[in-house]
Amino acid sequence: MNMKKMTAMLCLGAIVAIAGQSVFAAEKQAAPKAEAADKAAAKSPESSGDNAAAEAAIAAAESARKKAASVDGEWRDTGKMIKKAQAALKAGDSAKAIKLAKKAEKQGKLGYEQAQAQQTLKMPSYLKY
Amino acid sequence: MKNLPGKLLLLSVVAAIAATAQAASEQPTPERDKEVFENRFKERFPDVAREEFANGVYAIDPIGRESWEAIEEFPPYELFIDDGKEMWDAPFANGKTYKDCFADGPGIAHKYPHWDKEQGMVMTLPLALNQCRESQGEKPLKYKKGSINNILSYIAMESRGEVTNVVIPEDDPRALDAYEKGKKFYYTRRGQLNFACAACHVQNPGMKIRSDMLSPALGQTTHFPVYRSKWGTIGTLHRRFTGCNKQVRAKPFKAQGEEYRNLEYFLTYMSNGLTLNGPGARK
Ligand code: HEC
Repeated sequence: MNMKKMTAMLCLGAIVAIAGQSVFAAEKQAAPKAEAADKAAAKSPESSGDNAAAEAAIAAAESARKKAASVDGEWRDTGKMIKKAQAALKAGDSAKAIKLAKKAEKQGKLGYEQAQAQQTLKMPSYLKY
Repeated sequence: MKNLPGKLLLLSVVAAIAATAQAASEQPTPERDKEVFENRFKERFPDVAREEFANGVYAIDPIGRESWEAIEEFPPYELFIDDGKEMWDAPFANGKTYKDCFADGPGIAHKYPHWDKEQGMVMTLPLALNQCRESQGEKPLKYKKGSINNILSYIAMESRGEVTNVVIPEDDPRALDAYEKGKKFYYTRRGQLNFACAACHVQNPGMKIRSDMLSPALGQTTHFPVYRSKWGTIGTLHRRFTGCNKQVRAKPFKAQGEEYRNLEYFLTYMSNGLTLNGPGARK
């Protein structure tokens, strides 16, 4: 292998590494929000357990959505579901919030898998090469 | 954790080597892609002349065609063309006009999309119009709805009769890369319904979904912007892309973002040789 190719690949590697890091950075960002919500939940003792669970479910959904988006695999309604989950939590309906967040998390995971499964392009068989 | 970037680097070098090896094995050329693509429609619609595909679904839907021809007698896009001409002629605040950016305008639609070597990206007509505006100190226009469609209508009208001729220059590998990305986008299944663009417009043209007959992908780019009865107004190609992504429940991408510009580059290339006939009218 010649030097030029080698350098090009190392550059590519660096780009991928940087991209990888920024994904981690994005995931970290979600953390402070969850903390704030925990504090808010702590104020109303009766529902704090449920609220914390809902907050965690929403954070998990959001990170699944972002992961799908990072490979262009986000589905149409996932973000909306997360917003609705947040609204439900705010309105004190943590059961509804959890249900919506779980659904959104599942969509995020499926969207990611869908994109990953098609990383290399396979031309459909009805096209005759 | 400290080691992570290093590990990623190593991993990605391995991945890069694998990718290079694979790309070298067999990647059909754009010319070959186009040939296979066109053959698909020739085989599927042997009685439809090639030029006819520029008429979208009406090339294959005789009933829809009747009402379309009646609509074209009093085209719903005419007012937009008039407004667009006014925009073209009206001086910006600095006294210059679009003509100062596009010396060979207004009939320039056939020069887009093209590879812009300097900016290293696919240049589309709407983006070029906004870059012009901004260079003259004007605000950019919105990319899906609104007055951008007026000026696009006027330019489309003035470009009628020109021929689609997208070039993928060989002296810049990034151009081919953009084309390949657009192609990948086109054949990638997306959204909750798990459909690729190709599943509807290459695999199943002529089939009905709800009340719509699916148009063939060949010829889909010749007539934008398009007046859609369903919209009750005229809209851009990227607005249409947005709608088609949403209907399979995928999150749409940004109009004039890299994804849709590359997609436009690929899709328009597939229609090379077809005559421009915009603005269009569709259901
Ligand atoms: C579930 C089926 C389906 C999928 C998938 C789909 N479309 Fe469409 N598309 C339609 C329908 C229905 C219409 C309206 C009728 C027609 O012209 O085909 C349409 C219209 C269009 C038009 C306008 C055609 C014209 O003559 O004005 C374009 C361009 C287009 N689609 C591109 C795409 C692209 C690009 C994708 C992938 C991002 C895509 N479509 C995915 C169903 C689909």
